[in-house]
Order: sequence, then C-alpha cells, then structure tokens
Amino acid sequence: MSKKRIVIGFLPGVVAGLAAVLLMSGVASSRTLTFQAGCNGTWFDANPVSRDTARDYAYGAVYEGYQWGGGCWNYDNIDSAPNDPPQQYTGGEGGDCSGFTFKSWWEKSETGDAGFRYHYALQLVHGPYDANGFKNGDGAPNITLAKSSTVYMDAFASTSHIGMIYYANTAYNEDRMVEAKCESCGTFTWPRTYRGDPSYSAVRRTGW
Amino acid sequence: MRNMWRWPLAGFMTGGLVGVALLTINIVGTAWGGAGAVRADAAGRMDVLHTPPLLVSAGESTALSYEIVCSPAGEEPAAPCSPSGTLHVRAVGDRTFEDVPLARLADGRFSYSVPASFRGGTGFEYYVTFQDGRGNSATVPAGGADAPERAWIVSKWTTVDLGTHSFGSTRSPDSVLVSSAWGAGPSDLGLNDGREQSRIGPSGFDVAADGAVVLLDQVNHRLARYGNGRVEHFPIEFRGGEGDVAVGNDGTVWVLDDGGSQGHVAVVRGYGAAGQLVGRAGLAAPLGEMLRAGPNGPVVHSYPSEMWLPVATGQAGHTAAQQIAGARPGRPVIGGREVVVRASPEEARLALVAGNRVISAWRVVSQTNLGEVQLAEPNGNGITAIVRLWAEKQAEFRVLQLGQNGLGDSFTVTPAEWAESAPLSRFRVRGGTLYQLRSSPAGAEIVAYRMGGAR
Repeated sequence: MSKKRIVIGFLPGVVAGLAAVLLMSGVASSRTLTFQAGCNGTWFDANPVSRDTARDYAYGAVYEGYQWGGGCWNYDNIDSAPNDPPQQYTGGEGGDCSGFTFKSWWEKSETGDAGFRYHYALQLVHGPYDANGFKNGDGAPNITLAKSSTVYMDAFASTSHIGMIYYANTAYNEDRMVEAKCESCGTFTWPRTYRGDPSYSAVRRTGW
Repeated sequence: MRNMWRWPLAGFMTGGLVGVALLTINIVGTAWGGAGAVRADAAGRMDVLHTPPLLVSAGESTALSYEIVCSPAGEEPAAPCSPSGTLHVRAVGDRTFEDVPLARLADGRFSYSVPASFRGGTGFEYYVTFQDGRGNSATVPAGGADAPERAWIVSKWTTVDLGTHSFGSTRSPDSVLVSSAWGAGPSDLGLNDGREQSRIGPSGFDVAADGAVVLLDQVNHRLARYGNGRVEHFPIEFRGGEGDVAVGNDGTVWVLDDGGSQGHVAVVRGYGAAGQLVGRAGLAAPLGEMLRAGPNGPVVHSYPSEMWLPVATGQAGHTAAQQIAGARPGRPVIGGREVVVRASPEEARLALVAGNRVISAWRVVSQTNLGEVQLAEPNGNGITAIVRLWAEKQAEFRVLQLGQNGLGDSFTVTPAEWAESAPLSRFRVRGGTLYQLRSSPAGAEIVAYRMGGAR
C-alpha cells in the first residue's frame, strides 16, 4: 500500500476519532462541570451580623465568576470556569445575582427564619429567592423600603436582577454596587444608576 | 475489504486516544484551579472607599471620610481587620503635606475635619495611606504626593433651583439617527439578557467630527459606525461585560473594556479608520467608568480615587506610571480647563476651573430627588449638564444650559433605559446637538435634539 493511500485512509480516521470523543464528552462544558466538584455544604448560624461584616464578605467574592443558578466560589480572584453558555446551569463558579445576595446577606434557606447564617464561599447554595422575590420583599428577613432611605448593603432589585449598595454617592452621585452581574461580567463592584431607575425597587435585609 | 478499512480504523482509534488524553488534561487542569483548590491570598484584599469633596464653598465645613472594606482571608469567618490610616494634607501652594493620623469613629469610618486654615485660599490637596493590619496597604490616589486629590474653594455660586419637577412633559427627539433591533445580524445590536442577571445592551456611543455615530456593540464584539446612510462593522477584542467608547480629535476610536470575569483587568484600545488596532493601554486602576476624548488624548474616570487618568497621548498608550502621575481630579477639556462635578442627593455642584482658578460654578437643587449627573460638557464659559430627576416609580433627565446668569435653555427627555448601558454614557453633545442612546424591548436607537432656545 502506498504512503499516499495510508495517509488518505489514516488522517480522516484520526479526525473522526478525535471529534467523536470530544463531542461525546461535551468538552466545551467540561471545565465548568468539574468546578463544583470541590464545593461543599458547610455553614453555621451566627448572630448578630453587621452591615460591615456583610460587605466584607461580599467583597471577598469580587473578582470571582458568575454562574446562573450557582452559589459557590473559591477566592482565587478570577472566574475559574468562564464562558458558560447563558441561562444554563453548567456547574461553573460564582453565584448569580440573587444567590450572591442571599449568601452576602447571611440569610437562611428557611424562608420564615430571619436569622443569620454564615455560608462558606465554597458552600454550593443559591437560596430560595430570585431577584423578583427580593424585589417583592419575600421571606422573613427581607423588606421593601423607599429608595431614598437606603444605606450601604441595602439592595436595588428589578424583576430580573439585584445588586447591593457597596458605597453610596460617588462624585457623579451614582451608587457603587456589588453584584453578580452576568457571565462575561463576573462579580465585581460597579458604579450604577439603579437608584433612579423606576424598574428597580429598594429592598433591605432586616436585623443588622 | 480488510485492507481497505485497516488505516481508517487505526486513525479512528488514534484520534480517540488523543481526544481522551486532551479531555483528561482539561479535567485535571480544571480541578487544580477549581472549587476544590481555594487559593485565597492569605492577607485578603483591602478597598478604600472615599468620595472627594472637590468643590467646597468658602467657609463651608468639610470632612474627608473614608470607609475600609476587607475581604475574608480564607474560608473561615474572618476576624475584622484593623485598619489604620494617615492623611497627608496641605493648602494649595504649600510645599509640604501635614501628616494626620486618622481616627476611627464608633461607626467604623475614618474622618477628618478640614481646618479653616486649609479652606481659606484656593483649595487644599490630600492623599491617604491605609494599612489593614494584615500586611496590605493602599495609597489613594495612587500618585500620592505627586498627583494628589484636591478641592477647589468656590467663593461664588450660580444657584439653579429646579423646584418640584413635573413628570410627563418630555420633549420628543428631532431626529432618529440609528434604530436597530436586538440580535447579531448585520443591522442588529447585541443584547445580553436573561433571568437573574443585568439586561445589557450597547455600552456607549460617540459622535465623530463628520457626524458619524460610533456605537460600542460589545455584546457582538464589534464597533458599529453609522454614517452616509450605511452601517459599517469593525470586529474588536472585548473581554468584559461593559465598557465605553470615545472618538478622539484625530478620529481614533477608543474603547474601554472593563476586562470582565477574567481578572477584571481594564484595558483601553484604540482603533483606526479601517478598524485596525492602533493603540493600547492597561488601565492603572481597578475600575474605569467613563471614557472621554480629552484635548491630548483619551481620559478615563477611575476608581477608587475618582481621578481622571490620561490613558494615551495621540495614539500612544500610557504606562501605569504615566497615568498615575498625570491623574487629575477634574476632566481636562480644551483651553487648559477642567470640568469638575460633585453631586449628592441634595445638590449637584459643577464648575469650570483653570488651574487654581474657578471660572464659573453652579449649584443645582430641586425639591424632587436628584440623581446622577449624566453629562457635563463645557459650552463657552457655561456648561451643558444633564441630571436625573426621579421619584419611586418615575424618572426623567433634565437638560440644563448653565450660564453665567443661571439657567438658559432647558428641557426634559425620557430615559428610555430598558437595557443597561454604561451608566454615564447615554448622552453626547457635539456641535449644538444633543445625542441620546435609548433602548426598548424592540431594540436600541440614537436620537438627536437640537439645542438652543427655551423650550
């Protein structure tokens, strides 16, 4: 058999074999699927908790990723499982906006209990509230209030997004928000204008 | 027959083995850097929060206030860090800074009341250094004594009282320059939307000297240039979620990319007329917000200092050291002037300054909630400003022509902010025309309002 015939026969086989394995394994999502393998369920109840303590905790997640439906990150200052497809739970790093708020507000999964619970960064928990639930003040710990009455670590929520006030009143009179914003955005602090946006309402975690 | 399939079969097996090997490397690599490997810096991180006063009335008592945020140093609940700080302050014109240890108040904040001796002249300058007790330290602004923060003393304000705002009387645009549906097609603009996240449309836009509109369609990783009745697209590198865009005096299109979840390393890139990359600078700050074309090159409003960093001269990107050394508290504009903005829920203060001299200064007050200052552009010795006026369920933008005699032309426009943009990049002014980026569930548009004359 000539070399040419071997090449013609062999190379397409290599390509086909490689493609078959990668397609079957879903390599595109394998990086994210494996991230949460090291997450845990560790928490403990604590009381009382201050706004400063909660802000310090939220700042710890800054530079980490965003994962729709997620709630687990690792403090390495980068999204360890980037480029997830949008609106899919692929097991990547980070909370989504409501999951991040739930953990940063030290809330409990029991919606009737307004007490405080420390969630380890690696604890994989989202909590029972979506952004719209927070906006409505659902659950014992959450109440709505006038936007002009908010202070740091209160939040502004729309039907699809929530962010917490990291530091109010910049020089241009914005609020710096700490939020899990989107997959490509990750979790960070950004100056935003949610306060004056009618689609956003103010919500407060009670009991600080 | 056996011979015919031998080599393809061998190839298939080989390819399969290579695929398995690649997959293994991929998974192992992820696990190494994944959730199971917490690699937190043992010292955590510290953030210094401060809003500079910038514009102080003569005789007005002023305090410099700081808040310190300390991230947990690991998985276990962190003991509070124990920050301490020193303020370095001097009157403008003094040679040396006075070092003042900052006292921590009962509420955890640090505050310093600026004494009258520093408020009697043209202003005062300052910078601060903090340690968090865990080995972290920070100087804000980063340039320290070489590029300090400053406040101007204003002896004469022109006060503009907007009274109680009457919602519902907005002006319609004079023209619609761009109107695009959401999507990724040739005539579309990208939308990053979904449950439990921000709804993000084009981050910003600018208007070139020839009237062309340049839109940052970062969701589709491209610039869209609208002019002469057609649209051109230029693919760009864009890693983050949002950014900003500014067209320089030489036509260079500068793009601020916030860097996104891959480290949040903000970058400014410049593009030529054919869309080719012509300049680049890493931002010398953790966060950039507004990108504007300055007289000598693009400048970025940065955090935590709120200083404006010069990121390039011409098309030559600046190093971090150059940016830090050239940081200014006001935004540089033509004629050696700076536009200075300091707004609060109580009032918006705006000024045109030249060096130590305050050329003109305005206080804008209202009985309606004052939101952010969306725009502040020089107009002779006046300023064209836009402020948000809002109630719990309503908001509008008020366009103000601020002159020596107070308020000139003024009108109100609807926010039309269904999709998020960069927060202070919804408006641009060029040649007596005001441009606005608007959005709705149907798509995004750029509209124009002719300025001049009371309305």
